[in-house]
Parts: sequence; structure tokens; C-alpha cells
Amino acid sequence: MTVAGRQPFRLDVAREGNAAVVRVSGSVTITEADQLREALENLAAEHAPVMVLDLANMDFICSLGLGAIISGHLKCRHHRGQVRLVHPQPPVRELLETTRLTKLFGIYDSVAQALPET
Amino acid sequence: MREKKVIPTNMQAARQLAEELLDEAPFKGYSEPALFAIRLALEEGLANAIKHGNKSDPGKSITVCAEVDDDQATITITDEGEGFEPGVIPDPTVDENLEKPCGRGIMLMRSYMDKVEFNERGNEVRLIKRRA
Repeated sequence: MTVAGRQPFRLDVAREGNAAVVRVSGSVTITEADQLREALENLAAEHAPVMVLDLANMDFICSLGLGAIISGHLKCRHHRGQVRLVHPQPPVRELLETTRLTKLFGIYDSVAQALPET
Repeated sequence: MREKKVIPTNMQAARQLAEELLDEAPFKGYSEPALFAIRLALEEGLANAIKHGNKSDPGKSITVCAEVDDDQATITITDEGEGFEPGVIPDPTVDENLEKPCGRGIMLMRSYMDKVEFNERGNEVRLIKRRA
């Protein structure tokens, strides 16, 4: 029985021009949040102007996971970079709205829309 | 179904407990949004018990009692910490706190569950989600 998602966590990183695209899949629970934070902070240290987080396949995130995304955002801001979120599933989108993080992050319908114009 | 479990103070044990509870409890008839809420509140409560309650002390334990029936799910999480005053937690949704990486757990529990109660000492939280 699948309860509220619970797919295995996975991170895939790709480069699109000078942007980093991070596809987050599965659930970001209390045991995966540190892994997400570390990955985003390391990518931010590469000074990509835009870090795109593709959330289309992410079924769950806890507040520690949200904190990991915020940590990546803060690191990006050191070099005037941005974190952009793509296509969160409805429960995750509701979570972003409940926490008002939609004010902090741009939310896009597709990775292509989130990439910076060249 | 009524169950009581005691786990050590670490995230892996907490995660395993959450998975087992969600697998074993009779959540038939609960909606997906309700299950998402229960899962979220359970993880937030466990994370708070580990980090803020027991301050990650491996010598301390966390007790979780779960009671799930056709009407509602009640989960009680008790740590061995000194407790805290829930009323003094800053609102994480105001503009000046939006960029803080932590401090959202209690707000999320309150937003997603039907009832959230703390004991007087502040080391125990009781989370209730009604099925309908």
C-alpha cells in the first residue's frame, strides 16, 4: 500500500547552458534533507546563475527538506544567483503556499520556462 | 488499532517508525491529503523531539503512541527533554522569517492536523486528524 507517495528519494543533476537543473524524485523526509542540503550548497558554490529544481516527481517534503532548499537559495544569493522551482505536485505546492515560500521562490510550469534566457 | 513504540534519538529510527506506522495502521478510507498531513505532522513531531526535545542525545528515547480507527488518527510523541513554551515560537510565515531554514515544524503540524495539543511541560505533542 502506498501512503501519500513514499517513493525512493533520488537526485539527478544536469547542466543546461550555465544553469544547474536538479531533478528531485521521491520523498524528502527527515533522513534525506541533509543529502539535499549538501547537494544544493555544493551546486551553489559553483556560482551557477540559476539553479532549477524540477519537483515534478517529488511526492513529499518535510520542513527539514524545505530548509535544505532555503539553504541552497541563501548560498546562491551570495553570487546573485536564483533558485527556481518547477512543477511541484499539488500537495507540495500547497505546502509551499502554506509556508509562504511561494513568495521566496519563482514557480514555473516547466524546466524550459525556468531556464534563464540566453 | 492502538500501538506504542519507543525509539532511540536518531533520524533513522524515527524514519523507520514513521514508515512502519504508515504501513501497519488501518488507514482505509483516509484520503490522500489526510495521509499526507499525518505523514507530515508525524515527521515534524519526531524531528522536533530529536533536535529540540532530546537535543540529539543518544542516551534519551522517544515514545510514540498511535491510535487509529475509522473516525480519527491520534499520535502522541513524547521526548525526554525539558520541554518548551509553544506560544513563544516565532511565526515562520512573516516576511522577516521566510529565509530562515528552520522553525516551520509546529506551524505545519497546526496547519495540517485538526488538533495539536502540548502538555504543560512542553515535551509531549498530541496530533489528531479526523478521517472525514
